[in-house]
Amino acid sequence: MTGFEIVEPESLEEAFRLLDPEDPAVRPIGGGTALMLMMKAQIYKPERLVSLRRLDGRFSGIDIAADGSGFRIGAMTTFSMLEHSPAIRRHLPVIAQTMKTLANVRVRNVASVGGNLAHADPHLDLPPVWVALGARAVVVGPRGERTIPVEAIFEGYYETSLANDELIAELEVPVRAGWDALYVKVTTRAAHDWPALGLAVSAELEGRRIRDLRLVLSAAVDKPTRLAAAEAVLRGAEIGPATLRAAGEAAVAETEIESDSRGSAAYKQHLLRVHLGRAIEALAAKRV
Amino acid sequence: MSSPRTIRFTLNGEPVSATIMPHETLVDVLQHRFDLRGARESCGQGLCGCCTVHVDGKPVSGCLFLAVFADGARVDTVEGLARGDALDPVQEAFIEAGAFQCGFCTPGFVMMVKQLLKEHPEPTDEEVRHYLTGNLCRCSAYPEILDAVKLASARQAEAARRA
Repeated sequence: MTGFEIVEPESLEEAFRLLDPEDPAVRPIGGGTALMLMMKAQIYKPERLVSLRRLDGRFSGIDIAADGSGFRIGAMTTFSMLEHSPAIRRHLPVIAQTMKTLANVRVRNVASVGGNLAHADPHLDLPPVWVALGARAVVVGPRGERTIPVEAIFEGYYETSLANDELIAELEVPVRAGWDALYVKVTTRAAHDWPALGLAVSAELEGRRIRDLRLVLSAAVDKPTRLAAAEAVLRGAEIGPATLRAAGEAAVAETEIESDSRGSAAYKQHLLRVHLGRAIEALAAKRV
Repeated sequence: MSSPRTIRFTLNGEPVSATIMPHETLVDVLQHRFDLRGARESCGQGLCGCCTVHVDGKPVSGCLFLAVFADGARVDTVEGLARGDALDPVQEAFIEAGAFQCGFCTPGFVMMVKQLLKEHPEPTDEEVRHYLTGNLCRCSAYPEILDAVKLASARQAEAARRA
């Protein structure tokens, strides 16, 4: 790694002063696990890193609303904190399920929820899950604060809609009664590899009828992407082989999947058809 | 401007300080400033576990952890486990089970197993395998490592019963 300066502001005002909207060599750092890999590979050579670890208040903690309708999760919350939170395990079990195949204990002890989103690597596991859950991000900056759906953070491969002096402060995650969710990580070489395809599904089922759902594809596309056409096929439908096949075809038709080292486009399209159907069947089986 | 900075932390129970550059990793600082060679960088990407140390009681990859973030923290390494000549029960179990050949990955495994047994005092095979997915042994001593974890767990349970 090349030399840089690290600053650790204790207030948001100080953080905004230290960030620079014009200079890409100045960047916030959360847990730093992803940024460290980029710096070690010399893909990113910072001049100043602004650590968010001394910011407290809204940047930390996991709180559930008094009426149980949702969570507020501080952006510096580590994956381990999420994974071991009894309230999260109870109300959003898909998070603990996703952690089972996400990196390893040491990375989960350090990586932060906000940094994971700001990194915007489409192969990451949690972003599609947040999108499927309908989570929103609270973004703060020197010009004020805005709350946006998590999917609006991503603009493409490692590209976000956040300005260089904006910070993800917290997530708002709804808990919807009667909904269930699942994340499918499809790797094509080794189990611990980056996924060729990630599929997050949340749905409200009534027996084998799908009342409503959110389907999100990641890894095979340049950002976590809602599969609106496939959702339209499935919304209100009875789960069956013909419907699932039609949904799979709709998903393939509405996405632009490219070949890469994890598989050809045709292969990943096939994975999408197959795993979309399996994911819906798995959700239905969970609720019986 | 990149300039040196002094950090203070507790290392294996002793208060220490070091003047470091902001881009130095924790494993580099432990190796070169404190001559602690147990945690070592191997893959450099957080995948292999050879650089495992505990920061504030939690295992981290020392190769992905900037040393400045250890400022004010408690850092524990494999060198802090033994009490004089008496090895830690996890270290003894690794020796008795023959859970290594070359030994390069062993400090990392031992530090992970310490925490594994805190979280799961009597782990199932599945829990052990899941917890240790991020530690690689190129000699492939995995069956013996599993035996060592079971042995350490049994010893720990016996000691707790006697206490």
